[in-house]
Amino acid sequence: MVESIVLSGVAIGCIYALIGIAYNVMFNASRVFSFTAGTLGMLGGILGSLFILRMGMPIWFGFILALAGGALLGVVTEIVAVRPVLKSLDQHLYVLSTLALALIVQQYTAIEWSTEPQPFPRIFDVARGGFDQQFWLPMVACAITIVGLEVLYRHTLLGHAFLAIAEDNYAARALGLPERNLRMASYALAGVIGALAGFAGGQMLFAFFANAPLLTFYGFVPVALGGMGNNRGAVVAGLILGLFQQSANFLVGGIFASVAVFTVFIIVLLARPDGLAGASVRRRV
Amino acid sequence: MPTSAADPAAEPLLRIAGLSAGYGKIGVLHGVDLTVGANEVVALLGPNGAGKTTLLRAVSGLLPWSGGLHFDGRDLSGAGPRETAKAGLVHVIEGHRVFTQQTVLDNLLLAAYDMPRGERTARVEEALSYFPEVAEKRHERAVALSGGQQQMLAVAQGLVRRPRLLMLDEPSAGLSPVLVDRVFVVVRRLRETGTAVLLVEQLIEKALELADRVYALARGSIVLEARTGESDLPHRLEHAYLATTSRHT
Amino acid sequence: MTEMSAAQSRPARASLLGSHAFVAALPFLVLLIVGLTLPLFAGGYWGVIATRACVYWVLVTGLNLMVGFAGQLAIGWVALLTLGAYTTSVLAAGNVLPPLHPYLALAVAGAVGAVFGLIVGLPALRLRTFYFAITTLGFATIVTQIALAWASVTGGGVGVPGPIFPPPFDSQWGFYYFCFGLAAICTWMTANIAASRFGRALTAVRDAEVAAEASGISKPALLVTVFLFSGAVAAIAGGLFASLQSYITPDAFTIDLSVLFFIGVLIGGRGSILGPLLGTILLTVLPEFAAPLVAWSTFLYAVLLLVIVLAIPGGIADLLDFKNRRPLESNRAIIPRPDLLARLLGRDRDPGALTLEGVALSFGGVRAIDGLDLEIRPGQVHGLIGPNGSGKTTTLNVISGYYAPQRGTARLNGTELPALVRHTRARHRIARTFQTPRLVGEASVLENVMIGGTIDGNGTFVESLLSLPRHRRDEAKLRETAMLALATVGLESLAAVRADRLQHSELRFVEIARALMLRPAFLLLDEPAAGLSAEEIRRLGALLVAIAQTGTGVLLVEHHADLIFDICHHVTVLNLGKMLAAGTPAEIRSHREVVNAYLGG
Repeated sequence: MVESIVLSGVAIGCIYALIGIAYNVMFNASRVFSFTAGTLGMLGGILGSLFILRMGMPIWFGFILALAGGALLGVVTEIVAVRPVLKSLDQHLYVLSTLALALIVQQYTAIEWSTEPQPFPRIFDVARGGFDQQFWLPMVACAITIVGLEVLYRHTLLGHAFLAIAEDNYAARALGLPERNLRMASYALAGVIGALAGFAGGQMLFAFFANAPLLTFYGFVPVALGGMGNNRGAVVAGLILGLFQQSANFLVGGIFASVAVFTVFIIVLLARPDGLAGASVRRRV
Repeated sequence: MPTSAADPAAEPLLRIAGLSAGYGKIGVLHGVDLTVGANEVVALLGPNGAGKTTLLRAVSGLLPWSGGLHFDGRDLSGAGPRETAKAGLVHVIEGHRVFTQQTVLDNLLLAAYDMPRGERTARVEEALSYFPEVAEKRHERAVALSGGQQQMLAVAQGLVRRPRLLMLDEPSAGLSPVLVDRVFVVVRRLRETGTAVLLVEQLIEKALELADRVYALARGSIVLEARTGESDLPHRLEHAYLATTSRHT
Repeated sequence: MTEMSAAQSRPARASLLGSHAFVAALPFLVLLIVGLTLPLFAGGYWGVIATRACVYWVLVTGLNLMVGFAGQLAIGWVALLTLGAYTTSVLAAGNVLPPLHPYLALAVAGAVGAVFGLIVGLPALRLRTFYFAITTLGFATIVTQIALAWASVTGGGVGVPGPIFPPPFDSQWGFYYFCFGLAAICTWMTANIAASRFGRALTAVRDAEVAAEASGISKPALLVTVFLFSGAVAAIAGGLFASLQSYITPDAFTIDLSVLFFIGVLIGGRGSILGPLLGTILLTVLPEFAAPLVAWSTFLYAVLLLVIVLAIPGGIADLLDFKNRRPLESNRAIIPRPDLLARLLGRDRDPGALTLEGVALSFGGVRAIDGLDLEIRPGQVHGLIGPNGSGKTTTLNVISGYYAPQRGTARLNGTELPALVRHTRARHRIARTFQTPRLVGEASVLENVMIGGTIDGNGTFVESLLSLPRHRRDEAKLRETAMLALATVGLESLAAVRADRLQHSELRFVEIARALMLRPAFLLLDEPAAGLSAEEIRRLGALLVAIAQTGTGVLLVEHHADLIFDICHHVTVLNLGKMLAAGTPAEIRSHREVVNAYLGG
């Protein structure tokens, strides 16, 4: 029982954490939160099922294509919904443009794909049970992402450039860094991470269009609690969220679990609007 | 206004004509003309709010503006910061804004972002050679440097590109007199190695010691232009700064 | 302008206002007539559509105040519709208590809606825009899930029947007129609010929050009122919705519906009543014309939203704003009339002096202000100058309450001014302007100036809602005073123009007019001369001198040495957060250290 809670809690927590990281990567590149993070997660699952089950591609190939799909949505988000509104003084427009784009993709998926959850393929042909792949795939995905981002930010010039843009956008521009391309690349990266979350979590969440609003909300909780732009905070908060949610599910049942999670979230957020850890990089104003 | 060693009639390295710029609806600069010759140090002086920083931002492309910009024989009007930097016109912004969370070396490598990988290290070392005390701290994060050292790092970032013209925005701001002298020694060395410098400064006396020519900017227009050797210059500058337009009409 | 010509232009202005009001009301009148006569030319099917549009509009009138006026992006507001629908239905059906009369059930739903509107909206006071939007989405999901789970009360997935209203509202057209009536009342009420100090205060909080605070507007109090109202009408709309559907289940309340309402407001345009009304009608009716595309309706709404945000952020209201397409006169001069100041400001007070005593404030490691004493006396112009970074604007911000000093106090006539309670400064008659003009770009110049007089209104929100006499008296007086203020600064010819069409220098004078609405005992100006021509600076100086002569104490933070030396009685020079010198302009000009500080070295 406890083992089941822990397994599913950590697994789903990793999925939420990955979506949170996708939010953060987009935020660090543009100082804007995008509603498309949850949609990216949905897309990972849908595309995985589409390419592998419906179109019969080999698993690794379907995987790559699913990630490419995420990157594509990421880039489209930057070009269509973020870049045009960054210039405007009206702060709220990005909420609306990214919401609109997210809805467009979600609705299209609901209509063309299905409104019912569709099966997601088994990645490794092993019998179910115990420490099943549906649990450890998200954990592996999360671990790989964290390590990968660490390598990217610490050891590559591209990663340094991302950090520069996040810390001091103006100084980065003045230095001659290709700010616009870097932002697009960040959004593409966020797309890959979001799609990875959906693909790795496909066996738990299935290929379901309603994963989008679910992940939009539950993927944001790690960001709100972990601190804007703070990836480590997002992982910790994501895991806590996952465990809390699964425990509540087992103890009081689905609906009340949601209410419990939401209530705790609101209370914590109102007490600490900047999250429990605070933002990762103090940006120059 | 002849350049120092070359043919007096030659096209200057930097020529700005009729530059007007502002922020939103607020016009800050009104039709500024300015030139810098190769191998010249030109100082841009003026009271606060005159538009000096705005001028540099416009030239390097950080702001939109109207007017003409010719650099090194090319028309760079409307170019953004990336193109101007690549063309050899480098802007070191005010306030020693370096990337505090990254090491000194990484800060410099970022300045070399556009260069082929093999060249980067060499250029970075070259830039560091001007600032030995910063070179010592190359593996430390920039946040561990003092304000003066961060300023030197910022200038080093500018030097990584081997600029033809380096624009420095108040490099002495917030620095102790000793460090100010260090920076100015570097500027002198730059001129000797063939880099032109456009220097925005608050410290008039220091700037006059260093520069070949000086412009004074007040309320968005050039109010004085002279060679630094000319007599009576400090007095004329003071007059230009505090002059009231109503007294002159 | 002589007194006679002013008198001559007054009747002209009044009739212009009258005709303007009629033009503004015309579309509503047309819709009213169409709505009343609908059964004559439309069949039963369209009656249902029209009823639905009315029900949606009832909700959207409240949402419009929240989203369009206050700028709070409550995307999940459908939670209130769900709540109202279930409350009305459950109470009318008698699942919990003995069955209530439908009208009573509806009223109770309204009250419950008000309370929950407050609960759902309250995070907006603490959270950033995106965070708040996400929490409302969470609320919407939670409410639907509770409706699904609490089967004993709500019937769970099976649902409950909606309330049936007694005759004459039990027939299809009867119910239509009931909904239409409520929709018309809500339209009238929110239109009243839009044209009241509350509506203007909302747009000020949305677009120019610091200026709103400086004008005495308290954001929490205002938003709480809006949440209560919006929650109540949304819940009532829910009750009507339940009746219209005859039977409600949790899956009738999707996020799609919430998005529809939200998009209706945004397509309509912010700060407008007519725009969102047309937008809601459009969105309700659209699926009917594109029958095969019904499944795609949310998709199309989202596309429409994206197009609006990117191409016409002002929405339908912007498209219909013909008045603001007329070109403005190109060589406009700002000619203030200081002679009007006596009438505008009155001469009623000796407020004592405004002092700073030993104030110190640091940001991080930087000492922005390092032990400063300052005294601003009424009737004098006091200049505050210094190089960049000397702490001039910070000082002004301390006086107006934006920063709390770490040491020392600000006092008015000996009484300490509490820090950080910014909106109380207006009550002390301390007014200010800002380094960059903070105005509501989409509102007219006159409306912007009227914002300055918000705290002088006596009518309550309810009185404005119902357009009771005290509200109308407030409005008339406010409008008159604002026109006088505009005439004083020389901009009354631009009163009806959208503020974002004005030149920068004109915006500065609008800010001054707004500040004068407080009849300030002290006027704090933050670099008002920046961006002004030499002639405009002279006129500004004359105006400021005249303002001081009426007894106001003026603090002028400036870069322009000429303006300072021409009009100040007293000048304080700051450098690195400390007072470098203080005295008359003549003394300061020749002060060696001051000259050096400006020139550096």
